[in-house]
Amino acid sequence: MNQPLIGVDLVPLSRVDELLDPGIGPLLRKYLSPEELTVSRTPDGAPDQSRIAGRLAAKEAVFKLLGAVGRPVPWQGIEVLRGPGGRPGIRLSGRAAELARAAGLGPIDVSISHDAGFAIAVATSSSARSAPSLPAPSHPATSPDHSTSQQSATPKGMP
Amino acid sequence: MSSAGIDKVRDWILGRHPERTELAADVDLIESRLVDSLAFVELVYTIEDAAGVEIDFDNIDIEDFQTLATIEKAFFA
Repeated sequence: MNQPLIGVDLVPLSRVDELLDPGIGPLLRKYLSPEELTVSRTPDGAPDQSRIAGRLAAKEAVFKLLGAVGRPVPWQGIEVLRGPGGRPGIRLSGRAAELARAAGLGPIDVSISHDAGFAIAVATSSSARSAPSLPAPSHPATSPDHSTSQQSATPKGMP
Repeated sequence: MSSAGIDKVRDWILGRHPERTELAADVDLIESRLVDSLAFVELVYTIEDAAGVEIDFDNIDIEDFQTLATIEKAFFA
């Protein structure tokens, strides 16, 4: 049976402000691919903070599906593009694609929303690999009795 | 005595956390969330600038970036 996976991440738009600072402006290219930069602009061509923050949140949410806790997010290897019907579409390459293969990940779906100065993204998928079991509770008598343990797939990546 | 390069890195981290006035060399930057995943790219950029080196982001050893001491050993020794 496939193991369902979910990842979530939140990015304040103020963080995008920092990345757009002229002093470190080129840094944005370390996070977004040329194609992502193209679709992260307002109609008049200016960087769109909400779209950028949404993409960054989606990348981190997807990264949390990859089971690579403690490793740097491969920002360029997780592209968040426009999919069919305007939904976000995910394209993995390089190390991100390798991690997804190693994790036995199925198709990835992402949803992004932004409001009140924040962007949030949720990513879901499933894996043919079973999740490692949680350790047995130290006080079984006081713990709820679950026949199967469940584990979030959303430990923070790096960090 | 620390190098000017690692001082730049320390100043950059402290500049992001005005609630702190000092940062010991052995503080885990990642566990303490002084550097999160978004800021990690900026940290790498800051080290590149201070050390005058280019760091291959795809082949990073995360342990090199764990503390100011490990950063200094890896990039400023």
